[in-house]
Amino acid sequence: MSELKVEAKSRSEMLKQLREAHAVTVEQAQGLLRAQKQMHQSICKFIRENPKTVPEIAAAIGKPTHEVLWFIAASKKYGLVVEVGMCGDYPLYQRAKEAQE
Amino acid sequence: MENLQVDALVVGGGIAGMQAALDLADQGFKVVLVEREPSIGGKMITLSKVFPTLDCCSCITTPKMSSVAHHPNIQLLTYCELQSVTEAAEGFRVGVMQKPRYVDASKCTGCRNCEYECPITVPSPFDRGLGAYRAIRVPFSTAVPQAAVLDMENCILCGKCEKICAANAVDFTQQPETFDIHAATLIMASGFELTPLNAKKEYGGGALRNVIDPLMMERFLAPTGPYGRVLRPGDGKEPTSIAYVQCAGSRDTTLGVEYCSRVCCMYAIKQAMLISGALPLAEITIYYMDIRTFGKGYEQFYQNAQAMGVEFVRGKVASIREDAEQNPVVKVELTEESRTVERTHDLVVLSLGMLPATGSNEILGLPLGTDKFIAVPAPNASPCATAQPGVFVAGTAMGPMDIVDSIVTASAAAAAASAYIREHQKEAVYA
Repeated sequence: MSELKVEAKSRSEMLKQLREAHAVTVEQAQGLLRAQKQMHQSICKFIRENPKTVPEIAAAIGKPTHEVLWFIAASKKYGLVVEVGMCGDYPLYQRAKEAQE
Repeated sequence: MENLQVDALVVGGGIAGMQAALDLADQGFKVVLVEREPSIGGKMITLSKVFPTLDCCSCITTPKMSSVAHHPNIQLLTYCELQSVTEAAEGFRVGVMQKPRYVDASKCTGCRNCEYECPITVPSPFDRGLGAYRAIRVPFSTAVPQAAVLDMENCILCGKCEKICAANAVDFTQQPETFDIHAATLIMASGFELTPLNAKKEYGGGALRNVIDPLMMERFLAPTGPYGRVLRPGDGKEPTSIAYVQCAGSRDTTLGVEYCSRVCCMYAIKQAMLISGALPLAEITIYYMDIRTFGKGYEQFYQNAQAMGVEFVRGKVASIREDAEQNPVVKVELTEESRTVERTHDLVVLSLGMLPATGSNEILGLPLGTDKFIAVPAPNASPCATAQPGVFVAGTAMGPMDIVDSIVTASAAAAAASAYIREHQKEAVYA
């Protein structure tokens, strides 16, 4: 076995042991990740074609407006969503990939 | 365990702690600065601008943070908790525990590749929970040290951060580290906490999404804030009517906070002026009992706000409820007109007061005043000396005060500590 393979194997073994040692928090974090992925996909699907406001997104995906705003703010920070103008008093958001095309 | 022998140990890496550490270090004293957060900077680094000059907060704080980090006479211990303090020969013996960052700060370059790779997003306390960062992150853009920290509670241990890190800095096996520090003198600069947002149930803080605290508004006004502009957190609407409720956490016997917090009038006026700049069409109302603008240039600042069109309404807010559109409806007793009215706003900021920070003060066991801040037995003769010889206090650890006064007391504490160290060095030579 090459040196790199040995290193990768020992690294993966170490992570496995750590996951066992932190089983409770890892399980909670995995649940959080699943919920976040689902929310992210729902939002992105809705703002792919046309930019939308937070209340429009919230109504479409059936989530509270403050939760949607938090996700939009997080996605904006990491460059996944951009602000593309205003609709009345509300900013419009679109998925970054489509907005930049 | 690592042993350190220094002239002074400063507890707290906010503006007062940094100033005291720099003043002592510039005189040639060896200083250890202990901070419980992963970065120094304290509350001040989260603010947008300072009153009454409206200078950029970050532009004042960041150079001081950098000076602390690079000063040859200062050893910086971040992400550390005070464990014990005992009197020892010629000073104090202090036990400090450094929490694991799960990142080797000496290797980390602050590139944030790990943060972008991490799949878990969590609320950021730096943005008062309204913004987000990842389970592994650099706490904020100007953090010192510029090193990532991993939140094990929210980590799935996927290993993506470790894999992407070119500096091999991620270390999931890191353990807490302890320091045994022998210091000739201590300076407490442990700062303050804001009155909890939900302290007065009738104001709806914590329950109504569009009733916020002043540090949230500071983040909205900062260029690095969670939304990059002023929006209300309930639904992302750009507010056109914003109200401030003064004395929402101070001068209130029902909260057990009888004192005036000394900064609320000025930060509310400052924020009102900044909002006027950010949202020129917004109507801003400040509900107050009386306005206290006691510092140099403060009264002029208040008059400027009035001239800019900020509405000052003398009255006591009784309660706040929400209408169907998430708008806070303020019920206020207009004291000059002897009547009660209800007024609807888009966003309400509760001008919360200052409470003493918990943690370090209890470990040191210093006598506290009736306000629960660290007692200063002779405020006129020795404004920074505590009841314990050799222990000095700076900034809001001794009571509510603004940034100007925090810096003044920090320099005063450093001067007193310097005189104390020199006196004891002299005694040691003659003994």
